[in-house]
Amino acid sequence: MTRRKLAHDWFPEPLPENVVLGERSWLYSSFAFRHYRSLRPVGVRIGRSSGLYNGTFFDLGPQGEVTIGDYCTLVGAIISTDGRVVIGDYSFISHEVVIADSFAALPPRWGERGVLSVAGLRGSVSTGVWIGENAWIGARAILLGGARIGQGSVVGAGSLVDSEIPPYTVVIGNPARAVKRLRPRAQ
Amino acid sequence: MKREDLRGIIGAWDLKTLPPNVRLGEGCWIERRATFERFRSVRNPGLVLGKNVWIYTWTTFNVEPGGLIEVGDDSVLVGSVFMCADHIRVGKRVVISYNVTIADSDFHPLDPEERRRDAVSNAPDADKNDRPRLVSRPVVIEDDVWIGIGAIILRGARIGRGARIGAGSVVGSRIPAGAKVKGNPGIIIEPGETDG
Repeated sequence: MTRRKLAHDWFPEPLPENVVLGERSWLYSSFAFRHYRSLRPVGVRIGRSSGLYNGTFFDLGPQGEVTIGDYCTLVGAIISTDGRVVIGDYSFISHEVVIADSFAALPPRWGERGVLSVAGLRGSVSTGVWIGENAWIGARAILLGGARIGQGSVVGAGSLVDSEIPPYTVVIGNPARAVKRLRPRAQ
Repeated sequence: MKREDLRGIIGAWDLKTLPPNVRLGEGCWIERRATFERFRSVRNPGLVLGKNVWIYTWTTFNVEPGGLIEVGDDSVLVGSVFMCADHIRVGKRVVISYNVTIADSDFHPLDPEERRRDAVSNAPDADKNDRPRLVSRPVVIEDDVWIGIGAIILRGARIGRGARIGAGSVVGSRIPAGAKVKGNPGIIIEPGETDG
């Protein structure tokens, strides 16, 4: 793969080679990969027609893998993992959301002896985060390891989720609890 | 973007360009120059970092003229927004995650009439010296504390050694050593050691 640069980028680094940016998708800057250390064949895969705006970061450790679907919008979320994070098609992730599989997540860093240490806290296990299709994650919400957001569900602003949320459910609070069911409209 | 400006963003900038009242221990790494954009302390020192303190992009030291922040050896500050009017002390080996706020003052009065006066004297063209006096209470975060994503630590908080402050918690009081805290308001879910 050639060294790819975004035409509009102010940050001079190319995109990492193991990042796939789909057709008609927009990424604000390669600055998003400032702490990116993924060694996976594809560390970040972004589908078609998705928008990743200012303040979005991929703080991935060597085993980190993020998949973002089609028609997704991320308005500045921080994703910190050494495991797997999946965001389904049509999902909307609002301002200052953090998706991390450890509760006091760190960006990956070079360790004391030049050896790469993993994202998250020493000794923590990455359990991944999964967001279904057409979910909406409100501003400043926090999704921790084990969070599974069902299709069509809504996580209220500032909520904390570390468990499974069924499809078409609105949750709010810290810890988040269900407050409403959203009935999917018949096709 | 000019090379010079870029260095301020990727941690390759000259730490010697910091204000003279900032003291750094050996092996400190500070990713962005912008971390100091609102550093206004005139105390000497106004900021003391121990050895091997790592400070990432999202951290800012917003320090009022009379403020002092101290951070112990081997601590990692990922996204800690400090708002300091008096004194914030962070111990050794402390980990502070993304989007955390630590403030040692409310920065505005509670009393409605006082607050109206504060609003007027805080207008863009007003004399800020007419503002009511800030009431501050120092914040102390002892050694080996972990502060989770998006937590908020308010004036008067004293977090005991080794305590764990859960993601999204709000804490403004004394937390015993080794305790685990969750929620808003922060509730102690594991008591830790007895606090004397």
